Amino acid sequence: MQTTIKLTVNGRARTVEVDSRMILADMLRDQLRLTGTHIGCGTGNCGACTVMLDGRTVKSCCVLAADADGADVLTVEGLYTSPDDLHPIQQAFIANQGLQCGYCTPGMILSAKQLLDANPDPTEDEIRHGISGNLCRCTGYHFIVESIQDAARVLRGEASAPSASITGLPASPATDVAG
Amino acid sequence: MITAELQFHRPGSVAEALELLARHGDDAKILGGGMSLVPTMTLGLARPEIVISLNHITELRVIAEDAAAGTLRIGGTARHNDVIASPLVARHAPLLADAARHIGDMQVRNRGTIGGSVAHADPAADYLPALVALDASVVVRSTRGERVIPAAEFFIDVMATALAPDELIAEIRVPSQGTARGAYRRLTRVEGSFAIVNAAALVRPAGSGASVVAIGGVAGAPVAVDASTAVSAGLTGSALAAFEDAVRAACPEPFEDLNGDAVYRREMAVIHARRALLAAAGRAAAGVTV
Ligand SMILES: Cc1cc2nc3c(=O)[nH]c(=O)nc-3n(C[C@H](O)[C@H](O)[C@H](O)COP(=O)(O)OP(=O)(O)OC[C@H]3O[C@@H](n4cnc5c(N)ncnc54)[C@H](O)[C@@H]3O)c2cc1C
Ligand code: FES
Ligand code: FES
Repeated sequence: MQTTIKLTVNGRARTVEVDSRMILADMLRDQLRLTGTHIGCGTGNCGACTVMLDGRTVKSCCVLAADADGADVLTVEGLYTSPDDLHPIQQAFIANQGLQCGYCTPGMILSAKQLLDANPDPTEDEIRHGISGNLCRCTGYHFIVESIQDAARVLRGEASAPSASITGLPASPATDVAG
Repeated sequence: MITAELQFHRPGSVAEALELLARHGDDAKILGGGMSLVPTMTLGLARPEIVISLNHITELRVIAEDAAAGTLRIGGTARHNDVIASPLVARHAPLLADAARHIGDMQVRNRGTIGGSVAHADPAADYLPALVALDASVVVRSTRGERVIPAAEFFIDVMATALAPDELIAEIRVPSQGTARGAYRRLTRVEGSFAIVNAAALVRPAGSGASVVAIGGVAGAPVAVDASTAVSAGLTGSALAAFEDAVRAACPEPFEDLNGDAVYRREMAVIHARRALLAAAGRAAAGVTV
């Protein structure tokens, strides 16, 4: 069954026709070509598919796209405007080597944002609990925790953002797809 | 990927959802937070022909108090994090928030609902023993009317409840804890996984009802053990030992799996029941307000 949904993705109003079987993660990746949202397990365990739905992190493999009608979705692509203007959390992950293969990174960054939105000065323990829904097979988590601590200092205005940019990002991610 | 064709509905009111349920009954599945249902559909273990989402019915997510009746009313689609953050839950049933804080991870708590957890009835779910200890009721509705089912009767066996196919969980009704004090303890190996065993204790002051510990993860449904005698004897020596024996007797055939055999689970049930009971009694003695 096809159904039409209207939602906001990274600040932009979208009208999308989806199959009622489609999960939100597939809609973001395949229909909107926002491939920063990854799919690891597809069953709610790994957190690679984490996006923000109405301001709160969710696992987008457990949300039916058809159920996201009216929602406000933020993906990792919505955090930056250009490769030279990354979000402080993204900059901190690059500067602190908070990633290796990068598969978990978009979800990790959104979980970090959820944590820091509510708790600007978390303890290490709070950070580890805050990202417990996101599995990383590469880093051993330590540099991820340091990245989040670093980002927290920047967001609190106690440190300036490390200069970090990445190559290969589309210039204007939130507006690069028609529809 | 979900392969089985499905018809999706997102009703805007309870009445509309009940009509759909009445019409489609057995072929339909209610969708709450989707944290359990969507993965089972992805894995092909559930193949509902019709999915009815409750996520667009604002009235179902409300948490309210009924001061006259002394009850807390939690809407069926209240997210776990709604329960954790609610000042009304903190005032009337802090034991429930204690249990909810242990559920899964942040994303699961942001999306998963109390109604979904209760309907799914995983024997190790965190809410279940807390609801039994609190003497809560599950309010279910269909076009046939409303039923108010005590939690202790609602949970029947592993993922089996008193819910009929045309009913939905509209509300969880919890008598205010009042002067009773609660505590929740769980055993788990890895954060984010279900408990192996869990225990919710509610200690009531003398003369205001029974003290109880409800234990999950050992049987198909939560097991409640009366702790009144142990509490009035000061939770020491033989009174505490008698309570522990009662817990052992109440768990005759605990589950066995990779997390532990029956003997291990039974002893873990005893330890966590004791810890929860001592913690709740400690709060009661200290006059802690939550
Ligand atoms: C990674 C992970 C870890 C988890 N860890 C824990 C944990 O540690 N402790 C714990 O307790 N739980 C845990 N859970 C389960 C979680 O709490 C789920 O949210 C819950 O079991 C199901 O709630 P839901 O709202 O997501 O329901 P759904 O997945 O939408 O539905 C589950 C079932 O309930 C039915 N249903 C849903 N809502 C209603 C309603 N209002 N009325 C009638 N039927 C309804 C559905 O038809 C379906 O059969 C975990 C889940 C995941 C994915
Ligand atoms: S892909 Fe969604 S949690 Fe793993
Ligand atoms: S960096 Fe590879 S999974 Fe986390």
